Amino acid sequence: MSTLALMRLLESAPERYDRGMRWLTLGRVDAIRAALAEAAVAAHAAEPPAVLEIGCGTGALTAELLARDARVTALDESPEMLERARARLHDAPGLEFLERTASEIDHFPDASFDAVVASFSFSEMSHGERAFVLREAAKKLRPGGRLAIADEVRPRSPVARLLFPVIRAPQAALGWLIVGSVSHPLPDLESELAAAGFRMVARRGWLGGHLALFVAELAS
Amino acid sequence: MNFIRTLLQWVFRMVPWPTETGLRTVGAPDRKSPVLVTCNYDMTVRRVVAALKGVDAWLVVAPSSGVNVWCAAAGGHFGTPQVVTALKTSGVADRVDHRKVVLPQLAATGVERLEVHRRCGWNATFGPVRAEDLPGYLESGQRKDDAMRRVRFGAYERCEMAIAWGGPAALIVGGVGALLRPGWEWPLAALALALGFSVFFAYDRIPGPRRWLFSLAAVVASVVSVRLAGGSPAALIAAPLCAGALSFILTYDYTGSTPIESSILFDESRFDITLDLERCKGVYSCWEVCPEACFEKPDPGADVDLASAEPGRKGRTPILLAHDDRCVHCGACIVQCPLDALAFETEEGERIEPDVIRTFKLNLLGTRTKAVMGAEVGAR
Repeated sequence: MSTLALMRLLESAPERYDRGMRWLTLGRVDAIRAALAEAAVAAHAAEPPAVLEIGCGTGALTAELLARDARVTALDESPEMLERARARLHDAPGLEFLERTASEIDHFPDASFDAVVASFSFSEMSHGERAFVLREAAKKLRPGGRLAIADEVRPRSPVARLLFPVIRAPQAALGWLIVGSVSHPLPDLESELAAAGFRMVARRGWLGGHLALFVAELAS
Repeated sequence: MNFIRTLLQWVFRMVPWPTETGLRTVGAPDRKSPVLVTCNYDMTVRRVVAALKGVDAWLVVAPSSGVNVWCAAAGGHFGTPQVVTALKTSGVADRVDHRKVVLPQLAATGVERLEVHRRCGWNATFGPVRAEDLPGYLESGQRKDDAMRRVRFGAYERCEMAIAWGGPAALIVGGVGALLRPGWEWPLAALALALGFSVFFAYDRIPGPRRWLFSLAAVVASVVSVRLAGGSPAALIAAPLCAGALSFILTYDYTGSTPIESSILFDESRFDITLDLERCKGVYSCWEVCPEACFEKPDPGADVDLASAEPGRKGRTPILLAHDDRCVHCGACIVQCPLDALAFETEEGERIEPDVIRTFKLNLLGTRTKAVMGAEVGAR
């Protein structure tokens, strides 16, 4: 029995992903993704913008982007996740799913997207992976293009920082049980963005700053 | 500090223990030094580094969710995406002049060698099963002898698994014992540990309905022990109850904790491995990755440089599936065969295509078979 429980947890669980995300964000996830999609396509009211989505999972953010008339190239490394995303969105016009890791965005031609977006995928990367992906994302954006990332973050206020591990531990355990993976709240994405050549345009927080949306542009 | 960490990792072996991913140096590597990849399970990384003493190499620690190579590869946490990510983002490409990388052999259920090359340009080979064989493997120009290709389950490995299962069981049973009646914690903890060792040293040698026989023996042994120790009537009831229940739990998936039997929790344990002789062109990647040496090369003198093996290469005699009785259904040979010559077959003779095995990891709940064959197979 014990093995059964352990193996069950080890199994990656795309079918539980959406429900798990809703619980873990206390229902904020949909609003966050809507805000992200809005920020990513806002500057391109005239024509359908080309958007690159990193780690599309089951396609929740992809749907929000398509609803705003974006043309979306969505990457995910998990074929099972992509299968769910395809089932959700079928072959919507202007949509392409690719089974690729975030680190493979260097395959795209430079300056080929109006926006690069990601929701809850950067917290699953290591610092080194994020640095690589952000550097590449900067190359893939057209002039005036936007980078929009929503994710779990370490809160900024000292009090919240102190309380953070206490709140975080049970949530991380729950996340592991439901979703089957452990995320690492981003310690300081703004600095990482600056290091990759981005300038912050806007930042918005949810749940006491525990979840955040970062909108950035190329600095030069 | 390291001793405590090792002790904790022995007892809580089943719990993921992630360590930092990325590039590490072993010794003083230069631009020609070998590049090795491993998972980010702390114990594994420490063992690999320790085994490489005296060797100059680059070690790329890939993200495997803190799970060991074998379990992570089979469970979808250590596959082609994780290796591609690690090779691309670790910066190792800037440090060496070559593009050859050695992967752990036990990652072959998850990492597709040819896909790694297609997606990031690195030529991957599967090194030895065990970290301690790495120096010998590198020294001999990356040749694996038969012992390097096979998993072992000797006294040392059995001890490790006995502690991994008996240890947590002893903590739980001992804790409950202390709450029930002070003084019971040590005998009960000892019972759990003894059962752990009995399972991993004796269970595979019991014939017939071994689960019942083992549990019965444990119950009898616990009664005799309490009698000899002059225990109370309450102990005479509690000990056999505990022994029986623990035996049932510890033997439930004993097979899944050993490399010598196929886990009973997977549909694959009921499948047969089949070789399509028409498709086999003698690439022999199955021979390279099988941890049970089920395959034999037709000509013992022939040696194959797998780094140059391409799909469609012709002119070699097909491999011999000589020892399929040893198969533990890990699927590594199916995943790696560039010609799809190997596959699982159900009891009804239905072929499960290699791409299904490559896509769907860890078949605990039958998702893999359900995906292609409808619910009836997985539900049986």
